[in-house]
Amino acid sequence: MTRLEMTRRTALLTSAAIAANVANPLRAFAQETPRKGGVFNVHYGAEQRQLNPSIQASTGVYIIGGKIQEALVDLDANGQPVGVLAESWESTPDGKTITFKLRKGVTWHDGKPFTSADVQFTAMNMWKKILNYGSTLQLFLTAVETPDAQTAIFKYERPMPLGLLLRALPDLGYISAKHLYESSSDIRQNPTNLAPVGTGPFKFVKYERGQYIIAERNENYWRPNAPYLDRIVWKVVTDRAAAAAQMEAGDIQYSPFTGLTISDTARLSKDKRFIVSTKGNEGNARTNTIEFNFRRKELADIRVRRAIAHAINVPFFIENFLGDFAKLGTGPIPSVSTDFYPGPDTPQYPYDKKKAIALLDEAGFKPGAGGTRFSLRLLPAPWGEDISLWATFIQQSLGEVGIPVEIVRNDGGGFLKQVYDDHAFDLSTGWHQYRNDPAVSTTVWYRSGQPKGAPWTNQWDWKNEAIDKVIDDAATEIDPVKRKALYATFVKEANTELPVWMPIEQIFVTVINAKARNHSNTPRWGSSSWHDLWLSA
Amino acid sequence: MMDAVKRYFRSPAAVVGLLLLLVVIVMAITASWIYPRDPLALAGRPLIWPFSNPRFLLGTDNSGRDIAAQIFYGARISLLIGGVATVIAVVIGVLIGAFAGYYGGWVDTVLMRITEAFQTLPNFVLLLVLVAVFGSTITTVTIAVGIVSWPAPARLTRAEFMSLRSREFVQAGRTLGMKDIQLILGEILPNALPPVIVYASVVMALSILLESALAFLRLSDPNVASWGNLIGLGRDVLRVQWYVSAIPGIAILLTVLAVSLVGQGLNDALNPRLKSR
Amino acid sequence: MRILSLAGRRLAASIPTLFLILIGVFLLLQFAPGDTVDAMMAQMGGGDAATARELRKFYGLDLSIPMQLGNYLWRLIRLDLGFSSIYGKPVATVILERLPPTILLMTASLSFAFFFGLLLGVIAARGVNKWPDTLISTLGLVFYATPSFWFGLMAIVVFSIYLQWLPAGGFEDIGAAQTGFGRTIDIALHLILPTLTLGLIFLAIYLRIMRASMLEVLNLDFVRTARAKGLDETRVVVKHVLRNALLPMVTLIGLQAGTMLGGSVVVESVFSLPGLGRLAYESVVQRDLNTLLGIVFVSALLVILVNFLVDLLYARLDPRIQAEA
Repeated sequence: MTRLEMTRRTALLTSAAIAANVANPLRAFAQETPRKGGVFNVHYGAEQRQLNPSIQASTGVYIIGGKIQEALVDLDANGQPVGVLAESWESTPDGKTITFKLRKGVTWHDGKPFTSADVQFTAMNMWKKILNYGSTLQLFLTAVETPDAQTAIFKYERPMPLGLLLRALPDLGYISAKHLYESSSDIRQNPTNLAPVGTGPFKFVKYERGQYIIAERNENYWRPNAPYLDRIVWKVVTDRAAAAAQMEAGDIQYSPFTGLTISDTARLSKDKRFIVSTKGNEGNARTNTIEFNFRRKELADIRVRRAIAHAINVPFFIENFLGDFAKLGTGPIPSVSTDFYPGPDTPQYPYDKKKAIALLDEAGFKPGAGGTRFSLRLLPAPWGEDISLWATFIQQSLGEVGIPVEIVRNDGGGFLKQVYDDHAFDLSTGWHQYRNDPAVSTTVWYRSGQPKGAPWTNQWDWKNEAIDKVIDDAATEIDPVKRKALYATFVKEANTELPVWMPIEQIFVTVINAKARNHSNTPRWGSSSWHDLWLSA
Repeated sequence: MMDAVKRYFRSPAAVVGLLLLLVVIVMAITASWIYPRDPLALAGRPLIWPFSNPRFLLGTDNSGRDIAAQIFYGARISLLIGGVATVIAVVIGVLIGAFAGYYGGWVDTVLMRITEAFQTLPNFVLLLVLVAVFGSTITTVTIAVGIVSWPAPARLTRAEFMSLRSREFVQAGRTLGMKDIQLILGEILPNALPPVIVYASVVMALSILLESALAFLRLSDPNVASWGNLIGLGRDVLRVQWYVSAIPGIAILLTVLAVSLVGQGLNDALNPRLKSR
Repeated sequence: MRILSLAGRRLAASIPTLFLILIGVFLLLQFAPGDTVDAMMAQMGGGDAATARELRKFYGLDLSIPMQLGNYLWRLIRLDLGFSSIYGKPVATVILERLPPTILLMTASLSFAFFFGLLLGVIAARGVNKWPDTLISTLGLVFYATPSFWFGLMAIVVFSIYLQWLPAGGFEDIGAAQTGFGRTIDIALHLILPTLTLGLIFLAIYLRIMRASMLEVLNLDFVRTARAKGLDETRVVVKHVLRNALLPMVTLIGLQAGTMLGGSVVVESVFSLPGLGRLAYESVVQRDLNTLLGIVFVSALLVILVNFLVDLLYARLDPRIQAEA
């Protein structure tokens, strides 16, 4: 067996970090002595149906479940995988066998020991069968062998790039306790999902629907002297303006994942009592999209898609509507993804109204009565203030070049059904969430042959065999350098063909009380365990 | 008739109501003259305060659209929704009430059970369901508002019919061999209608409020400049730029007030013996 | 005992209406775009087709519509409201958890509207056509015309943001974790603005009715006689006038119960209250059919109950009317 270069480095880093009792080398307030105690109140905007991150991958679950349950690995301050429940890992040269050595002496909150059986059970019954994105990631996982309590060997039918697995596992690698789930007939209905039991620094206490969730310090946590906080309270506040008011009153210390309105965020960023930043969310990048339905003959014409892109003044929109926390996007792989970002030298479509008009004329869609060329129905996703502003801006911009746009408003279920299942849209717009590796949730937007009805996938009736091949090759390529090159080709092709346009790049914005210490110190801090978070007096 | 008109204009409240309503109607009519551009088009920088820029008297909203233009065009939408939904509600209500009241017996029982069902179900919940099912276009929203508003006019019409059906002129018509439908539409309805028409002002006021509440929850049609949409949009900037929500709120308030005052004035004018109320 | 049998009969008479409503809403929602699994996918931020298929099977959405309806009604007959797909709990539990804030809010709003409507109505009627009357009547009209959500928002701007007197939303302060009296005060403070917001339009209606009834009654002979006899005016008002004027007001409560529940959808959303109204909104958006039908069922029962109580009150207030046996 050969160890990959990166693996060895991170393994070393991990043990060094544990020896120093600081998992994070970038401590902003190293001169202060951490203070024990205190209650950390968190803004919780959208309640989920359950809290177990082993069966649901979403920030709304991580923000709570991620403090109670732990994953095999997390990301360190530099965005590299660092062991949590796994201490080390290695892959065979063919990429089909990946072995994890697990941490000793870890117990579940109910006192039972954590073992490889838990990993096996979770991987085979939750990740592979239930977890969104997990079932795609682990599609070729055939078995998890457990020769002893501290070893879990993952067997794959096709090569699994170790880098991909390690970058995916911080989100898709949470472990649940086998003894609490094995006897239940249906894992989804298990009451433990609403009262999670984990190995993490905080123990679940109480969930009052529509109001709050409470977790308290785990005295038996495996990291010595952690955590610092006594309690975490998540307060359900659906109205974002009300959440801002509570932050100012000191009732809430932290609003994660762009939980406040754009205007309140801008206002609080000028207030010394708060820190407003995208730091700590680099692992949660997203792009705003325009998705084209190729079933409309106009949109199947590449000139029209490009004309639409040229007709929209994205820098103006960002400057006037989104403010400092968004930037011009250059394609499906955002610039924060240092491992895969191919640079901005791919085909781009800067604002040029004349060119847009020329392209539309050239495509044969001349203005008819009242200057109308053809009209389109735009379906915006109902989440996010930026999406509705962006939809309005698209409507305003395309109106200028003779394409009247009708905005069709739906709630969440209606939106997904109409776009990804009924295909009843001309344009749609929402977020593409980038999850650290393009193979996790990005390439499905472009790969043909997606089952009808699968949300956030290529449902545009568009197929390009060259792109399909690049995507497939990259997914099983185990050489990181070659993978990066393949994804550069992918971005170039995607931007040329433009089945989806991703012109705005955003990172979630954190608003946090300035008294918090050791916050925002990893790329997915909002989702991480907060074992080193403390509050200054 | 002239007496009624005179009585109407003797009441200052009714006159004020009529004037207000006229202002709203004039705004609706002149909207496309005064603001020839699309009210939803990008007009300038977002969130300009009212009276700070002569180009935008009432400022701009968070999408950079002229608030004054939206208030003018919004008058159209509110009157349209209020008017059409009221017509729908009154027509359904009068038909059901007329049949129930005229025939009585099992027809009455069945129709009243249905009416009761609609009244027992909280009307706003039904409205939410209708919009979730049929979508949020201006047409569906208007029809949905009409559909949830008919039970009250139905009950009113039924009561009128029940008291009128045994009157002499109806009996006379019956002995003359008039068909039921002739009696209902030609004889009883004209007599039963005045109180229903007065009540229509209440339905209209409530319809405008219902649509604005729907828009506030972002479930109304985003392609039209409606006051409710503007209030919903303004919610995101409430803390500082409260005027985005405040201005259209006042517009709704004044319009509903106008409609109610006119309704009350009509009521007093048509039923002079209740004037002192 | 008589009341109980009366209540039982009343409920039995409402059963057809209840079923009509439930079947209607069930069928209506079958036309909705997307089901609870789509809504769940939207919430998770992603998923694949296999997951979706599994979930549909799990929620029984792969059955035919008549089968689903049949199942639902059969469970309902056994008083089982089913399982909520958003909350992962029995619907009955979910609704019971959400009922107290709504009941509290409705009771508070009704009491507020009733009491102040009465007071203002009496004041206005006593000074009919003088300035207090004009002022109160105008205020009543303005209140009636104010969109409740807008009033709520503006109240937040003034009382929570600028003056910082009252909380901007929520049902209670969790951080404080109070008990007993402190908690009661805390909840009361949280409910002041929502109560005003929801009660405003009803206040306007009640004050108009009260004023009109007062005027009518004050002109009746027996009141004039009482006055002429030199009886204390307050006693006259309390004894005769109130008793008679209360009748139409009480009637109206019965008629408005449904409207009030509907209004609480908006008010609870403005003030982030964890009540039945917001639950209704969420279950529509999440396509949680069982929960929505459960809410419809419970709110219909509530409306029927309120109407029953109104009838009883009516009989007490007006001895001429016998509660029909």
